[in-house]
Amino acid sequence: MTTRFSDRLLDSLASFFEALLRFLPALAAAILIFCLGLLAGWVLRRLVTHFLRVTRFDRACDGAGVLQLLARADIRTPPSVLVGRGAFWLVFASFTMAAMAALQVSFIDQLVAEFFLYLPRVLSALLVVLAGFLLGGFLARAALLTAANAGLPSPRLLALVVKLLVSVIALAMALEQLRIATSIVLAAFIIAFGSVMLGLALAFGLGGREVARRLLERHLEQPANQDSDNLSHL
Amino acid sequence: MTAADLSFLPEKLRTQLGEIGHADILMGIPSYNNARTIGHVVRAVQAGLARHFPHQRAVLLNSDGGSTDGTPQVVQEASAPSHDTILARHPLRPVHRIVTPYHGLPGKGSALRTVFGAAVALSAKACAVVDADLRSITPEWVELLLQPVLANGFDFIAPLYHRHKYDGTITNSIVYPLTRALYGVRVRQPIGGDFGFSGRLAHHYLEHDVWFSDVARFGIDIWMTTTAITGGFRIGQAFLGAKIHDAKDPSVDLSAMLAQVTGSVFALMEEHAARWATVRGSNPVPVFGFEYAVGLEPVRVNLGRMLERFRGAVRELEEILSLALAKDTWHAVRQLAARGDDHFTYPPELWVRTVYDFAAAHHHRSLHRDLLLRALTPLYLGRTAAFVIQMEHADAAEVEAALEELCLAFERDKPYLVHRWKNREDPP
Repeated sequence: MTTRFSDRLLDSLASFFEALLRFLPALAAAILIFCLGLLAGWVLRRLVTHFLRVTRFDRACDGAGVLQLLARADIRTPPSVLVGRGAFWLVFASFTMAAMAALQVSFIDQLVAEFFLYLPRVLSALLVVLAGFLLGGFLARAALLTAANAGLPSPRLLALVVKLLVSVIALAMALEQLRIATSIVLAAFIIAFGSVMLGLALAFGLGGREVARRLLERHLEQPANQDSDNLSHL
Repeated sequence: MTAADLSFLPEKLRTQLGEIGHADILMGIPSYNNARTIGHVVRAVQAGLARHFPHQRAVLLNSDGGSTDGTPQVVQEASAPSHDTILARHPLRPVHRIVTPYHGLPGKGSALRTVFGAAVALSAKACAVVDADLRSITPEWVELLLQPVLANGFDFIAPLYHRHKYDGTITNSIVYPLTRALYGVRVRQPIGGDFGFSGRLAHHYLEHDVWFSDVARFGIDIWMTTTAITGGFRIGQAFLGAKIHDAKDPSVDLSAMLAQVTGSVFALMEEHAARWATVRGSNPVPVFGFEYAVGLEPVRVNLGRMLERFRGAVRELEEILSLALAKDTWHAVRQLAARGDDHFTYPPELWVRTVYDFAAAHHHRSLHRDLLLRALTPLYLGRTAAFVIQMEHADAAEVEAALEELCLAFERDKPYLVHRWKNREDPP
């Protein structure tokens, strides 16, 4: 009886140590990959930040209105540093996943595989949001200037509407990329966009009928009247 | 002088030029849908050539941008003036007349590139280009633009016009004073559009690789003037009288036009930064022709609308204008907007700072360049409104004196431009 118990105990301990011995190299590899990830992320962060500084990325962001928007969110860090940090976290997260995969635990393997399959979607969604943000800023300013130069009423409101529309479209595209409740997002977007347009149409057609009439009259009369400027500027 | 590559000229044109061989004079008329006016221009040019250069071999080249209103036909059919009409004592030498489409980007620059190419192919001594929409051109223009080149060894003759005091405000308030302050040469109409130039200068123009840039589309006039100045060519001016041209297309809006002109000047500033940074003061340019007073068509100005646009922009465009202007300039502009119509003014010193700040912002790309250039429009309207108010009862001499004062302000404040050009930040 005692022998049986001790045998079982020894067998258990032996198999535990055997498993531990099998696991230790994997753990060491995982720790090494993790450390390498830290190092690679740090190096890439420095490189990306330096490259962006050299190519005057911060100035371009300043010109595109990104700095002002960050300032509104109380973020004072230069965009080049922010992108550098993003690069760090991307590399670090990838290496962490690789480190976890090195542990050879089945459910972690599955998680890692899913992560790497999903990563391109995350990247493309980020790119879509960034492009949407930059395009929205540019188009909003273009609309603001065009409206102000043409003497249209409420140029800033018009610019805000343009920016919101572009941002909403970009966000919907990003969510679609991430496959987050695709059908709900699409439906919500169509409903929201359609509602805004319908609302504007109704507001303009009913509420602002008189304003619309005056605007159209003024617009149509302008060529004849152009208020009589015949200045040759050149 | 290296041989110029003329392969960009249409094959048919090269054949025609080859058949002619050599010419002393080349007259170029760039056109696009100018059927209404080009007949008069062609007749005036032919009369001018017959009257003033009867012994010279002359070629008239119409470089057309694909007109759909029959412009080339009008050029071909415009009858040469009769012997009696032009009062010539000598037998008239027939003027070769060529109508050709041009290759390249659509625009006046591409049309003139064809003229320069033809000038080189014909080894022309003197050339002149005149706009196809002119209503006030006379045969004397031909002599005034060509004679200083042929007889006095000048390379570039810019036009000098008498214009209504409110006309040519982009030229008067930006292009002339800025060009003068930058390069130290007082060319009064740097974007006049009607120029005389030597064959040597035509060859020099062709050596530049600008024919697929904005120069080919709309910036050719200021490019020709600036390139002649920076190339060290002999420059003169010819007094041509009044400039009256066909009414412009009303769909061409002021903002786009101003952006094109200022964008061209600012782009040239980038190219010649090393040269203009050291220039101080300016020198006069010899003038040919007899200056006389001319009757000018009245100009209507809607002052209220200009001021409304200016004030509206100052109110609405803070986000953009505060990026384009230095802090002090922006502060001063905001104060102007608060003034009543009767007391409205835009002092020359502040206008100089405005233009210099925009030039520096364009250089440093503080904002997308197209947006930046368009943001100048309301400020320009404010300055124009102030000028109209100030000059309401002024005669031509007083207007010129005020413009001279503005030019001197541009020259005095040039160190500020140099500073802002080198440093992105506001001056201390």
